[in-house]
Amino acid sequence: MDILPLQAGDWAFVGTNWWILMQGLYVTVLLTVGSLLLGFLAGFPGGAIEVYGRGPLRSVVRGVGVLLRGTPIVVLIVLFFFGVQWPDIGAVPLGGLLPLPAFEINGQALLASTAALGLRSAAYQSQVFRGAIRSIDEGQLEAARSVGLSKLEAVRHVVVPQALRRSIPGFQNEFTIVLKDTSIAFAVGLAELLTRGFELFTQPAGQTAVVEIILTVSAIYFVLTFLTNRTLDRVENRFAIPTGE
Amino acid sequence: MARLLEFDDVHQAFGDENVLRGISFGMDRTDVEVVIGPSGSGKSTLLRCVNRLTEFDAGDIRLNGESVTAMDVDALRRRVGMVFQGFNLFAHRTGRGNVTLGLTEVRDIPSGEARRIADENLARVGLSGQADSYPAELSGGQKQRVGIARALAMEPELLLFDEPTSALDPELIGEVLEVMRDLAEEGMTMLVVSHEMGFARSVADTVTFLDDGIVAERGPPEQLFEHPERDRTREFLGELDT
Repeated sequence: MDILPLQAGDWAFVGTNWWILMQGLYVTVLLTVGSLLLGFLAGFPGGAIEVYGRGPLRSVVRGVGVLLRGTPIVVLIVLFFFGVQWPDIGAVPLGGLLPLPAFEINGQALLASTAALGLRSAAYQSQVFRGAIRSIDEGQLEAARSVGLSKLEAVRHVVVPQALRRSIPGFQNEFTIVLKDTSIAFAVGLAELLTRGFELFTQPAGQTAVVEIILTVSAIYFVLTFLTNRTLDRVENRFAIPTGE
Repeated sequence: MARLLEFDDVHQAFGDENVLRGISFGMDRTDVEVVIGPSGSGKSTLLRCVNRLTEFDAGDIRLNGESVTAMDVDALRRRVGMVFQGFNLFAHRTGRGNVTLGLTEVRDIPSGEARRIADENLARVGLSGQADSYPAELSGGQKQRVGIARALAMEPELLLFDEPTSALDPELIGEVLEVMRDLAEEGMTMLVVSHEMGFARSVADTVTFLDDGIVAERGPPEQLFEHPERDRTREFLGELDT
């Protein structure tokens, strides 16, 4: 087994085409942020319903969660792309605001990928929040009720602020997973980072630069993960509840 | 005129276990009533029935003549404060923040005014210097005093204390009892579940001995402690002495 040698000429090819990878990165960031946001907006109430809800609503939320967590993400993305009739938004223009040539992406692939990654993330985020909510001592809720807050007010003012803080480490994992899994939108041809890398090394001029391109793409994912985790560490410390130690 | 608080044949069961089996007694404004009894006798449950943290099965509890079950539960809890054995402070809020939550959210007091009221009540329990401290930065006795300030700030007609010193190290019990003693002197109506017989003896107007879900004996402290009528009371007090 030999490792292919890296070539200065191939690195130069990556260098001259950097903006194509940056366009891919733009889509990757867009997809990550959209999916995490959808995951949060659906996952946080989902976790709360699993703890405080009852009856059919709770059963439905649990069931959907189990289903989403039990399906491979590539299957979900393909299913959402081919199996859902998305509104025809055509090609979405991007890049106008950046020092990048403007470009277009497939709107339906973007919608399907965001929905699949977002709902799958919601299913995982709901478990992060469920655990965090459960970890808040029941007595605090009772104390809030004892001064006359309604259950909803007590949850909002006492449980949620503490549960959100305790969710940050779990959310960091979730962020890392979603960021890297955006690369699976490759399967439906969405022009995210990996897809743009693929486009580069399948060009005639890029055929010897496969390893260089993949290494560059990997490094971009790594830097993004690293920086965001550091930022979330800071957020966690900034909002940590003083312990007196 | 109706009594401030009246228990009328209150029953409560958890599954097969009858925890309260017909409790009846009443108290008036400024009364301090201490409920004693062995663990499992229903003391805490009785207290929790007053503000309906536990919903009782049968009988009635009346506040100023009005059945608590007929009241809006949040309105009832505004009028009846509670202090918990485990403090139950909001961990993410400072001492002041613990007190202001009920003021701003329940009494709709603007935040500046709520801060002033909170600081006033923290001063009342001797914690002027700790308003900005978080619960994890406070000693057990200080935590419980924040708990008392939080209840006091709502200006309740009645304060319930559920074993307020049971979770405290012995050297911290005194500071909490001191605050409770002051409140009693100021005329606060208090229903206290406690194992602190010294406090019951010196502060209570009436002591109720609860045993196995019924009021086994009830009377002024000197009578109950010095000349108990029932063998069961004598036995219980004897166990405490040894």
